[in-house]
Amino acid sequence: MLATVAKQLRSHPALIPLFLFIGGGATMSVMYLARLALKNPECSWDRKNNPEPWNNIEPNHQYKLFKVNMDYSKLKKDRPDF
Amino acid sequence: MAEAVEEKIKNYRTAPFDARFPNTNQTRNCYQNFLDYHRCNKALTTKGQDTSPCEWYQKVYKSLCPMSWVEKWNGQIEDGSFPGKI
Repeated sequence: MLATVAKQLRSHPALIPLFLFIGGGATMSVMYLARLALKNPECSWDRKNNPEPWNNIEPNHQYKLFKVNMDYSKLKKDRPDF
Repeated sequence: MAEAVEEKIKNYRTAPFDARFPNTNQTRNCYQNFLDYHRCNKALTTKGQDTSPCEWYQKVYKSLCPMSWVEKWNGQIEDGSFPGKI
């Protein structure tokens, strides 16, 4: 099947940017889903050993990609220990 | 440490920003503080210490949680059917 696609691409080279953009878009979507699955502290994969992963992050840990009006370096732990 | 906590509890206005829950959906923030309040009470009473620092968690969850949820959970705790781990 890849051979057919390669043959068609050689006769219509204008299709190459199409593949690049569609491929790039698909890669970005998959990467975002992977980040959400693996890096999001709300997602608990191992309920026995790590049941509440959001409790294991620093008080100034930034998960969002862009921050607006929020200085994460100034945050400190402000909950009492027990 | 205890004096600093009492100061904070006295000057409490509302729940502070919690980096664990940065998004608009604060359900988990509410639930976690409710759990932390009960866990703190349990841990400090078994250690024989004063449970007044736990008031912080109670103030936070009272600010965040809808009253109906708090009443439902308190009812479940009394019945013994609360699903969370305390």
